[in-house]
Amino acid sequence: MSAAGLAATSPGPGAPEPALWDDAELQRHVLLRRDDGRAEVVLSIGGLRCSACVLALERALTGLPGVGRVQINPASRRARVVWDDRCTRLSALLAAVTRAGFRPLPLDACALDDARRDEGRDALKRLLVAGFGAAQAMMFAVVLYVGAVDPMDTTTRDLFRWLGFAVATPVVLYSGRPFFAGALRSLRARRLGMDVPVALAIALVYGASLAVALDGGGEVYFDSVSMFVFFLLAGRYLELRGRHRALDLTDALARLTPPTADRRRADGTLEQVPVAALRAGDLVRVDSGATVPADGRLESAACRVDESMLSGESVACHRGRGDELLAGSLLVEGPAELRVMRTGAATTLAGIVALVGRAQAERPRLARASERVVASFVALVLGLAAATALAWGLADPARMFPAVVAVLVVSCPCAFALAVPAAITRTLAVLAARGVLVVRPDAIEALAGATHVVFDKTGTLTDGVRCSAMRVFGAGPTREFDADRMRQLGRRPPAEPDRAAYSALRMAAALARESRHPASLAIAAAAGDLEPPRAREIRSHAGLGIEACVDGRRLRLGRPAFALRAEQTAGVGDGVVLADESGLIAEFVLEEKLRADAAATVRALVADGLTVEIASGDAPARVRRVAARLGVERWQGGLLPADKLARLREVRAAGARTVAVGDGVNDAPVLAGADIGVAMAGGTDLARAASDIVLAGERLELLSTTRELARETLATVQQNRRWALGYNLAAIPLAALGLVPPWLAALGMSLSSLGVVLNALRIGRRRPPGREPLPAPGPAPA
Amino acid sequence: MNVLLLMIPLSIALVAGAAAAFFWAVNHDQFDDLESPKLLPLMDDPDDPAAPPGEDRTGGR
Repeated sequence: MSAAGLAATSPGPGAPEPALWDDAELQRHVLLRRDDGRAEVVLSIGGLRCSACVLALERALTGLPGVGRVQINPASRRARVVWDDRCTRLSALLAAVTRAGFRPLPLDACALDDARRDEGRDALKRLLVAGFGAAQAMMFAVVLYVGAVDPMDTTTRDLFRWLGFAVATPVVLYSGRPFFAGALRSLRARRLGMDVPVALAIALVYGASLAVALDGGGEVYFDSVSMFVFFLLAGRYLELRGRHRALDLTDALARLTPPTADRRRADGTLEQVPVAALRAGDLVRVDSGATVPADGRLESAACRVDESMLSGESVACHRGRGDELLAGSLLVEGPAELRVMRTGAATTLAGIVALVGRAQAERPRLARASERVVASFVALVLGLAAATALAWGLADPARMFPAVVAVLVVSCPCAFALAVPAAITRTLAVLAARGVLVVRPDAIEALAGATHVVFDKTGTLTDGVRCSAMRVFGAGPTREFDADRMRQLGRRPPAEPDRAAYSALRMAAALARESRHPASLAIAAAAGDLEPPRAREIRSHAGLGIEACVDGRRLRLGRPAFALRAEQTAGVGDGVVLADESGLIAEFVLEEKLRADAAATVRALVADGLTVEIASGDAPARVRRVAARLGVERWQGGLLPADKLARLREVRAAGARTVAVGDGVNDAPVLAGADIGVAMAGGTDLARAASDIVLAGERLELLSTTRELARETLATVQQNRRWALGYNLAAIPLAALGLVPPWLAALGMSLSSLGVVLNALRIGRRRPPGREPLPAPGPAPA
Repeated sequence: MNVLLLMIPLSIALVAGAAAAFFWAVNHDQFDDLESPKLLPLMDDPDDPAAPPGEDRTGGR
């Protein structure tokens, strides 16, 4: 997989020809014509990894004549450019980006992410208005509270009431609008969502305070209502930020296939066309290192393709004439001539993406439990307020109004509404600092209750191949060297008994470093620091091996059938062998390299009471070996994406809540369909777009850390809820009886909210699990 | 107490001004990218045509 990644990032011969983009037909799709005559385009930028890249890209673009505005979003890896295309053509713009070292791909004009950007800006403005308003309202309210203790004249009191009204009004009417809009939406859909009671509470407290201000009696609660809106918006804003960092599916799909293809004309020459223009029956040429643009049948002799992202198959497969190649797979050794069979939405790749969409739709809705709790609590409070109103209306109508408002304010569902967002927000921050990006915040709650983990194998548990042993054949008995001893060989030329092994390793490394094949990389890595001699007359044989001359000897490194004559292959394993004309020199045993933390992670998860399972698209024999090394008993190999999803349904039918961990395109449906999908950051965009949690830095162990933190979060949420419930049980009856003075109601509400937030801040204070505390620095023992 | 009549409108005007400035900033892309600007001073720009090294920088001001 790592080799495939390398090949994909290098601007290979398959990189698109920018001039093509000046085609008017194509531009109609990607350019947005602005009112001032300038053009606007959204580019998906491949290779954009960090903030420094953003600067390099920005510099490359703004240096061009006619370029007006450049906006680059490193998170979504998109650049948005407004420029005068009479000065600089689109092709020149793309060429400049390519020169800066990135791979630009103009996206369809409808991908202009206006909606997302505006949503983010809107939320920020509303939050700020609520913050300013709440602070000011609080200031004016303090004057009123002091006035309740040390009486002031009614004119001053009314002045401060109206000032409170003036600052609370924009908070309620502008900042609070999403709640009202949401409530209206759910009422139209005949549901009682979270927004309905919240909007009702805001409207009632605000309306009651206004009535009191007009009337001249009682108390006003403009500060409480502003603060309520502010707290709720703060939680929602953090959630939105997380959501916007996620990739969307269409974007991910656009990056899996190349934008253009080399089509052969009738006269045999090549022309570059957009992939969208390919039709079944076209003949297409794909170069080594490029991505196959459409499903098709191989017309040339032979090639090797890496389908690991599509099928989970860990080794690149050999394809002969007439075999089928799949869009999105990587041509490791080519070139290949392809007769197109299916394009666009008909390809196998598009089928997998469609499966992702369906799986997402059928994902069980379980995490909104917290919202339901808040909604039912608010509904209960509203009921109690109505009962209070009724009771006082019969007993003493004059005291009805203050008592109802006191019930609403003292119970103001802040503590309840904040219990979950405060804890989740804190957890997200702690996780981000440890390298875990949580895309869907409710995954935290789901993760704490998970019972099953389904791992993908290739790219998730394993990471490429390594050379685990070498067998040297010579005059004497066959000698075997494990990985450690191979590295020692490479460090210094050894004494006599190891001399033959040393020279075999040198020769193998000399050949291996001439190829990017994963097996070659593994052998070269096993040789360590060894300085190999120079290989000459190198010939690479697709799918078989490599042949070269080293120190005057003609050597072959590769499959036994390639390196040896037929009568010599008896008794040789299925590894990679090194041979010369007279026969076998050495055999290299390759095995899949487990991620360094894979075994520890599996152990930690099992110790945590989870059932661990491997579901892979790779050959069952290889899956079995990996499962045995990790001590995992349940495993399945040879699964198609749909099979994986079916397996998931089976597990779920037994009542399990599943975490799926994967990285490839073939994992995407199962990631989307699982209760929690976890993707490796180095995996495909599609897998990341389909999952809820992304593990950065390729560290699998973060999964058990995240799980532990999720449990802690849930415990804190429970604590917070109990605390809020206890507070409300004590306060509401008193308020209903009219015994709580308004300033105490407001104070109680603020303090209960503060308690919830402070409690949430304790999450993650404990030392990260699995790390021993450092010994305190002190005088060394004598 | 009369000072209140000056201070309160002043405070509200200040807040309104701050909010207006913030809205302007949000609408002018100031909050869209919070990542790269912090690295700006660290970047070398050897081929920045606007400011060639030497005479232009010192001679300009």
